[in-house]
Amino acid sequence: MTKFLLAVHVLAAIIAIGPVTVAASMFPAAVRRAQAEPGDGHHVATVRTLHRICRVYAAVGVVVPVFGLATASSLGVLGDAWLIVSIVLTGIAAGVLGLLVLPQQDRVLADLARTESAGVRTRAVGARLAMHTGVFNLLWATVTVLMIIRPGSTTGV
Amino acid sequence: MRPPWQPLPVAAGVELISLTVLLLNLATVHWPAVASLMGPTHGCAYLFVVIATARHPRRTGRLVLTALVPAIGGLLVLRHLSPAHDAQPGRR
Repeated sequence: MTKFLLAVHVLAAIIAIGPVTVAASMFPAAVRRAQAEPGDGHHVATVRTLHRICRVYAAVGVVVPVFGLATASSLGVLGDAWLIVSIVLTGIAAGVLGLLVLPQQDRVLADLARTESAGVRTRAVGARLAMHTGVFNLLWATVTVLMIIRPGSTTGV
Repeated sequence: MRPPWQPLPVAAGVELISLTVLLLNLATVHWPAVASLMGPTHGCAYLFVVIATARHPRRTGRLVLTALVPAIGGLLVLRHLSPAHDAQPGRR
């Protein structure tokens, strides 16, 4: 049963968090392109699709920590330091994604829809958004590496 | 225009069914495999209902609190969001 839970956990991480990473990283560049050519609906449509991928797959990503906790409890490693650090980092990453990245994407998209009337503000938000996206990607990459190295773990690789 | 499928009703159904299966399993045969499968499934459905409600365009603080109710939170939210509920006298 542990193997099944772990398989779901890893599959969900690849299928859900992967697209969020890619789409969120592409988002600021797509916004810049849309700002460079205002009036071109094609670029705005791209930005909207990227935002939708981030939003939908972030919700699907709920599966990852839930099945992760189930795997950890069936392995009996819930008290290990590497796991607690991972849980805290995952919590922070989820907070960055849900409270900073996604709402900012929402705002940028709304500004874009209102065309260039708020161009300067959008640019400032875009730079901050790129930074927050980078922080999210860094956090979850760190968690992934922690999951593989498991410092202090005695269960082997 | 309705979207082709709505995640909230699905999650609300899974939330109730998975908990029912869990409790039935606990009261009867108590297979560990069923518990380890349905436990995380229920957890996902519960969290998904809460997130979907919190991001719903017609959310209110009270509606999000309703979503936090175990087992039937999702169904209560759906009932509040249904057109029939709004059509009742004394509602907007």
